[in-house]
Amino acid sequence: MSEASRTPLIRLAKRDAMDPRKAMAIRIGSIFLALILGSIPIMLTGANPFKAYGVIVAGSLSKPIYLKQTIKIAIPLLVCSLAIAPCFKMKFWNIGAEGQVTFGAICASYFAIHLGGKVPSPVILLIMAVAAAVGGGLWGFLPGFFKARYNTNETLFTLMMNYIALGIVNWLQGGPWEGRKGTQIVPFFHKSTYLPQIFGVQCGWIIALVLVVIMHIYMTKTKHGYEVAVIGDSLNTARYAGMNVKWIMMRTMILSGAICGIAGFLILAGDNHTINNALSGGVGFTAITVSWLSQLNAFIMIAISALLAIITKGSKTLNQRLGVPSSVADIVSGILLFCMLGCEFFINYRIVFRKKSDKEVNA
Amino acid sequence: MKKLTVVLLIALVAMTAIFASGSPEASSDSKATKVGFVVINDENDLGYTWNFMNGMTAAVEKLNADGYNVELIVDRGHLEDSTVTDANRELAAQGCAVVFNNSYGFEQFMAPVADEFPEVQFVSLTNCGSQLDGRDNTYNAFAAIYDGRYVAGIVAGMKLNQLIAEGKITADQAIVGYVGAYSFAEVISGMSGYFLGIRSVCPSAKMIVQFVGSWGDPTLEASAAEALIQKGAVMISQHSDTTTPATTAAKYGVFHTGYNTDMTSQAPTASLLSCRINWEPYFYTFIKNVIEGVKNPSDYCGTMANDEVLLTELNTAIAAPGTQEAIDAAIADLTSGKIQVFDTSKFTIGGQTLTSMLAVDSDGDFAADKCEAVWDGVFHESYPEFQSAPYFTGVIDGIEWLNAAY
Repeated sequence: MSEASRTPLIRLAKRDAMDPRKAMAIRIGSIFLALILGSIPIMLTGANPFKAYGVIVAGSLSKPIYLKQTIKIAIPLLVCSLAIAPCFKMKFWNIGAEGQVTFGAICASYFAIHLGGKVPSPVILLIMAVAAAVGGGLWGFLPGFFKARYNTNETLFTLMMNYIALGIVNWLQGGPWEGRKGTQIVPFFHKSTYLPQIFGVQCGWIIALVLVVIMHIYMTKTKHGYEVAVIGDSLNTARYAGMNVKWIMMRTMILSGAICGIAGFLILAGDNHTINNALSGGVGFTAITVSWLSQLNAFIMIAISALLAIITKGSKTLNQRLGVPSSVADIVSGILLFCMLGCEFFINYRIVFRKKSDKEVNA
Repeated sequence: MKKLTVVLLIALVAMTAIFASGSPEASSDSKATKVGFVVINDENDLGYTWNFMNGMTAAVEKLNADGYNVELIVDRGHLEDSTVTDANRELAAQGCAVVFNNSYGFEQFMAPVADEFPEVQFVSLTNCGSQLDGRDNTYNAFAAIYDGRYVAGIVAGMKLNQLIAEGKITADQAIVGYVGAYSFAEVISGMSGYFLGIRSVCPSAKMIVQFVGSWGDPTLEASAAEALIQKGAVMISQHSDTTTPATTAAKYGVFHTGYNTDMTSQAPTASLLSCRINWEPYFYTFIKNVIEGVKNPSDYCGTMANDEVLLTELNTAIAAPGTQEAIDAAIADLTSGKIQVFDTSKFTIGGQTLTSMLAVDSDGDFAADKCEAVWDGVFHESYPEFQSAPYFTGVIDGIEWLNAAY
C-alpha cells in the first residue's frame, strides 16, 4: 500500500484558535445561509419568505399576549438546558431529560392530586417542587449508577428511561388518575397547586434565571464544577488526581435529573395544571440542542432558548396567518439549527484534501 | 463565548427590526366577525379534522355568500394540552366573537378562558361538560352519528348476506372486526349502533372489537385490523381517525366501512362507504345567531333529518345488489322515527333486556347519576333534553371485546 492511499481523500483537521472576527463572520453567515435555505420550503407552500419571517418575529414578540407565550415556552427549555450542561461537560451523554422532566412531573402530580386544596398553596407548591426534584433525580441517578457500576451505555439507558416515564404517564392518565372513564384525561388539579404569576407569566421565569446564575457558579467556580470538567477532559487524569469518578458521575446525574424534575414541576404547576403524555413535549430533546449551541455556557443558553421559543411560537402564528403548514416551520427551524451547529464545526475543524504528492499536509 | 451572544442578539434585533415592520396582522377588516377554530392535528389527517374543516369552510363561505362578513382564523396542530388554553386566549384576544374547539379533550383547557372573555362564545364540540358548567358562554354539540353507523351496518350486513349466499362463508363465519379508539362511551355507542344495523339484516353476525388506545395512529390501527382479520373477520369497521383499517382490509381481501371520510379511493376493493357528521349546518346557524345576537342552545345534537349525519357515496362496484335502496329506506325510517337504533327488543345485555341506564353526570364524579334514558322500549341515545355526547356504555350480546383501552 502506498502512502497516498493510506491518506484519505478528504480528512478533518483540528484548527488552531480562529481569529475571533472571522469566527463571528462565519456565525453571522450561517444564520443568513439558514434564512436563505429556509425560504425554499416556505416558497414551495406559496408564501412570501420575507413576510413569513416577519410573521415569525412579530407573531412571537410584537404583542404582550405573544410575548407571554414565548416566555412560557422558553422557561422549561432553559431549565432543561441548564440541567444537561454539567452532564455534557463530563461527556456523559444524558439524553434522558425528557424522562426526567416527565417523572418529576408524575411525582409532583401525585401530591397535587392527593393534597391539592387540603394544605395552603405555598406548602403544596413546595411539596410538589421537592417531589419533582426527587423524582427527576431518581430518574437521573439510575443510569448514572449503572454507568458508574457496570459501565453501561448511558445514551441508550437514558433514552430508554424516557419511554418508561412516558409509559407510566399513559398508564396513569388512562388508569388510576383518569377522570371520566375512557377519556384519557386527568382532571385539572386544585387551584392551590397553580404557580403565581409575575408580570402575567408564571413565576417560573424567575426560578429559571436564578438557576442560570447558580449553574454558572457551579460550573465555573466550585470544586464540583472543576471535577466535572476534569472528568470530561480526561478520565484518567481525574482518576490519577484521586477523584472518586463513580461518585461524581452519580452525583452529577442526580443533580441533572433533579433540575429536569424542577422543569417538569414548572410546566405542571405553571402552565399545564394536569398531567398528560404531551406534558414535556420534546423539551428534553430540544434542550440538548440548546446546551450544545450555547457551548454549555449558562448565560448564552438564555439567548438560545429565547431564539428557539421565538421560532416555536412564531411558526404557530405563521401557520395561522399564512397557512404555512407547521411542519414547514419545523423544517425551517431545523435548517437554522443545522446551520448554526454546522458553523461551529467549521470554526473548530478544517477540511484537508489529499495532495497529489505523498507529503503529509501540516495543519 | 460572549461574542456569540453578541452576534445572536444583534441578529435577533436586526431580524426584529427588519421583519417586524412587515405587516404581521391578517387582513384586519374591522367589520368582519372573526371566528376562531382550534383543531387537533390538522386537515392533512384526511379524517377527523379534515371533516371538521370541510364543514367550517363551507359554513363560512355560505355565510359570506349570504351577506354576512365572516373571517375564519384556524389554529392547528394541537394536542390535548395547555397549548389549547393559549390558542383560545389568543383567538379571543384577537377579537373572535366565537371560538370552536374540535376535540373532546380540549374542553377543560378551553374553559378557563371563557371566564376571562365573558363576551366571547366558546364551543367544545363532541364533549359534554360546558352545558352543565354554569357558564353562559360555553357550549357543546355533537350529532346522532349512531344513526349513520346503523345504516353503515345495514350495508355491511347485506354484504355478509351476499358472501353467505355465494357460499364464500358460512352463516357462522359472518364475523365483523371493529377497530375502536378507546373503550369510551362515544366509541361503544357507535359500534353498538353499527352492530345493531348489521344484525337487522344478518342475524347470525358476530362482532369482535380491538381497541388501539389512540384516536389516530396509522400503525396501531393497521395492526389491530390485521389481528381482527386473522381472528376470522371478513368485514372491518372503525372508530379511529386514519384510513389504514381500510387499506389493511383491502390487503387481505375483506370488506370495510369507514368513518369521517370517504375511504373508497384509498381502498376501492374493500371500502363500501363511510358515515360522517356534517358540521356545516351547525356552524352556519351558530355563527349566524352570534352575529344577529340570538342566543344559541348550550347543547345541540345534529340529526339525520337535518342532513347533519350523512353516508358517503356507496361503492357500487363491490356492494351487494339492492344496497342503495336499503340505505334510502333505512334513512327514511330513521328520520321518521319508524325504526329506533337502540330498540331494547332488538338486543340483550348479559342475556337481559335493558330496562335502565342513566345518561348524565351532573356532579362531575364521572358516573352518570341522573336522566333515565330507557323508556317506551327504547334507549334514548343523545336525547335532546339530556346531552348530545353519546352515553350508551352497554356491552351488547354478540359483541366480544378482545381487549379494553381506557
